[in-house]
Amino acid sequence: MNDWGMQKRALGERLAAGRRHAAGKIVPIPELPEFLKAVIRSGDRVCLEGDNQKQADILASALADLDSRDIRDLHMVQSGVVLPAHLDIFEKGIARRLDFSYSGPQSARIARMLFGGKIELGAVHTYLELFARYFIDLTPQVALIAAVSADKHGNLYTGPNTEDTPTVVEATSYKNGLVVAQVTEIVDKVPRVDIPGDLVHFVVEAGKPFYVEPLFTRDPAAITETQILTAMLAIKGIYAPYGVRRLNHGIGFNTAAIELLLPTYGERLGLKGKICTHFALNPHPTLIPAIESGWVEQIHCFGSEVGMEDYVAARPDIFFTGPDGSLRSNRAFCQTAGLYACDMFIGSTLQIDLDGHSSTVTTNRIAGFGGAPNMGSDPRGRRHPSEPWLKAGAEAAPDSLAPLRRGRKLVVQIGETFGDRNVPLFVERLDALELARELDLDLAPVMVYSDDVTHIVTEEGIANLLLCRNRDEREQAIRGVAGYTDIGRARDPRMVERLRERGVIRRPEDLDIDPLDADRSLLAARSIKDLMLASGGLYRPPTRFRNW
Amino acid sequence: MTAATANTSSLSWYEAGARQRIDALLDPRSFSEFIGPEQRETSPHLPIFDLPRQFDDGIIVGRGRLGGLPVLLAAQEGRFMGGAFGEVHGAKLTGLLRAARMLGQNVLILFDTGGVRLQEANAGELAIAEIMRAVIEARRAGVRVIGLIGGRAGCYGGGSLIAGTCSSLIVSEQGRISVSGPEVIETNKGVEEFDSRDRALVWRTMGGKHRYLIGGADIFVDDDASAFRQASIEALQCQARCDLPMIEAEQRRLERRLKHFGEANDAVEIWQAVGIDKPAEIPGLPTEEYLRRAADKRENADDAR
Repeated sequence: MNDWGMQKRALGERLAAGRRHAAGKIVPIPELPEFLKAVIRSGDRVCLEGDNQKQADILASALADLDSRDIRDLHMVQSGVVLPAHLDIFEKGIARRLDFSYSGPQSARIARMLFGGKIELGAVHTYLELFARYFIDLTPQVALIAAVSADKHGNLYTGPNTEDTPTVVEATSYKNGLVVAQVTEIVDKVPRVDIPGDLVHFVVEAGKPFYVEPLFTRDPAAITETQILTAMLAIKGIYAPYGVRRLNHGIGFNTAAIELLLPTYGERLGLKGKICTHFALNPHPTLIPAIESGWVEQIHCFGSEVGMEDYVAARPDIFFTGPDGSLRSNRAFCQTAGLYACDMFIGSTLQIDLDGHSSTVTTNRIAGFGGAPNMGSDPRGRRHPSEPWLKAGAEAAPDSLAPLRRGRKLVVQIGETFGDRNVPLFVERLDALELARELDLDLAPVMVYSDDVTHIVTEEGIANLLLCRNRDEREQAIRGVAGYTDIGRARDPRMVERLRERGVIRRPEDLDIDPLDADRSLLAARSIKDLMLASGGLYRPPTRFRNW
Repeated sequence: MTAATANTSSLSWYEAGARQRIDALLDPRSFSEFIGPEQRETSPHLPIFDLPRQFDDGIIVGRGRLGGLPVLLAAQEGRFMGGAFGEVHGAKLTGLLRAARMLGQNVLILFDTGGVRLQEANAGELAIAEIMRAVIEARRAGVRVIGLIGGRAGCYGGGSLIAGTCSSLIVSEQGRISVSGPEVIETNKGVEEFDSRDRALVWRTMGGKHRYLIGGADIFVDDDASAFRQASIEALQCQARCDLPMIEAEQRRLERRLKHFGEANDAVEIWQAVGIDKPAEIPGLPTEEYLRRAADKRENADDAR
């Protein structure tokens, strides 16, 4: 006779052990260490909630404070390895194996620990991939999550930063895993139920909000004139001719410049209503002027952004908000939206090679992927047509039969030929290859593969890779916009000139853009304060961004 | 002429370069430069450190007209070495001030500086002393020296000492005036004393609104070149007096200030003590409302400044 209830029984045992340290579902904070020791088993797969924005920071510290003689060899499956505690867990031997997606600020230390053998790496994923694996082969036995408030039944209010929580809870709780939430406070009635209480087993009152990183705030004061020029090229040379209305923007300064040029330069080109009406995007403060001047119809968000809460709540026609009035974000849904319902992804990168592969990995840093490779890829399962998608498909394969021709998602890489500290954007060989060799990885960490990227924009012009018919043309198109980098100077001038005649390369003058017009006075806001004023005082920037 | 100066009505002083500021400040086409970049009077020290030089050494000096009246003018370029004082940079300003004394013409100094250039520190420090002496000597001869502060580099170090000797200071919210910069304080006293990354703290401690409220600046304007122009015309009406009783009065004022506010831990406490209604709101207020609340409450500089 088979026993089909082993997991349910194991959960029952954990619940019983946990209740000895709890009053109902509520775990008092002094009991947290003993509680975690009681409900976690060595070798468990544990999801410690945290991504590029919100962090279950109290639970992370408590987990890192355990003794590896009690709990060891955990398999961490989590979106972000961001807090020092996330790696302390490995340093102390509490955890051994790691599957993750993003590591931003810990990118150097995670690389050192991989080299040192402290971490056994499963794989680096995109967010959506990791979420997918939660439901197939990386289902957590324990999830440690974060919310704003809970009632005594465990109903959770996540506030605007819902992000990964519903996905993590769905995968864990419905598969007999244990869910523990840290909340700022316990209340009689939560403002809205983001996570139903019967999926949440225990709640810890942290007494302070979970940490959130303001990752999507770009100070307009730091936008350069070169970035403004790249933004003008993108708007006039890509957004306008393809009529891109549904899109996702990366977090760099180039795309922040595009957002700030819409109400000025975009308006002058008569593009309002024709481009940038629907976004899969976090509430970027730099989008405020475009929203306020009526450019944007709808935005769905992966997460929230620090300081944007009241602004978003005051614009329910634009954002997805709950019955309580505040934003409801959802990373899994927004990533899906970015993949299937957007016609364009545009973002910055650190290195582009001669094939057009791009990577944000530099030697000794493993920053992970986050969502960019998902946004920045052509979805082979897409079936609904749209004008930009069909036009791009036609450019890529003009001789194929139209009704049988796939469209193409526009995947645009934008940047200056020399980036931060004058490091060239274009390279012969990606640093990611060296990293893969040193760590003996099967795959080099590539952010956007060459067969997905359709356009490269620099201050030298736009390379349309859809129009390239062979590898040589592709290489020369890339060299043709690489300016004075070594890659650019090694171009074949005659071939580049022919590509330009065919419109594969378009210089600023080909688009009737005078580089001298790329001036900061074009920006709809030139400072964080301008953004605050444009929001009617609703945007409340964190103090580190304020210069008043 | 760049696109930005073509539209002077909305030229941000903070964003503009030194030459754009001069164009927007003075009467049209009235400016003529002394020792211009074509004379290539560059720093003799920077090449030793393999650092790039600038043909005007980061300061523009010359004469022009403001509201029809003749003025001498110096403008620092904050985008070159943070507008810092070096040997040539300092000598150009000293020379201008000495000329002002001889000609009996008023001077505008458009500050945008982090202080003395580390690479030529001795020459720079000497220059600061010479400039302060030249300011006082010019003022003793009846010349007004007006400082304009609202650039990206602020007015720090030796620049703030010179500002302290001016007849009148015009400041915008973005303008910062302080001897030690945020990073310097943090490095020497620790992040608990002063977190240089907390920009709101930096601005409420050193920024234009605070300086205006405690009498560290005389006219508060929007970050707009035309506002700086109007304020300069107004400042040139201030009385051109500089004598011992006045300086002694100023000394007494500063002593009082230290006594009243020396124990305050944050600028907001000072604003409270001055009698400002809802002082925590000060940083977020638009100019008009800020000036309304500051009126009758702010500490006035005595005639020495």
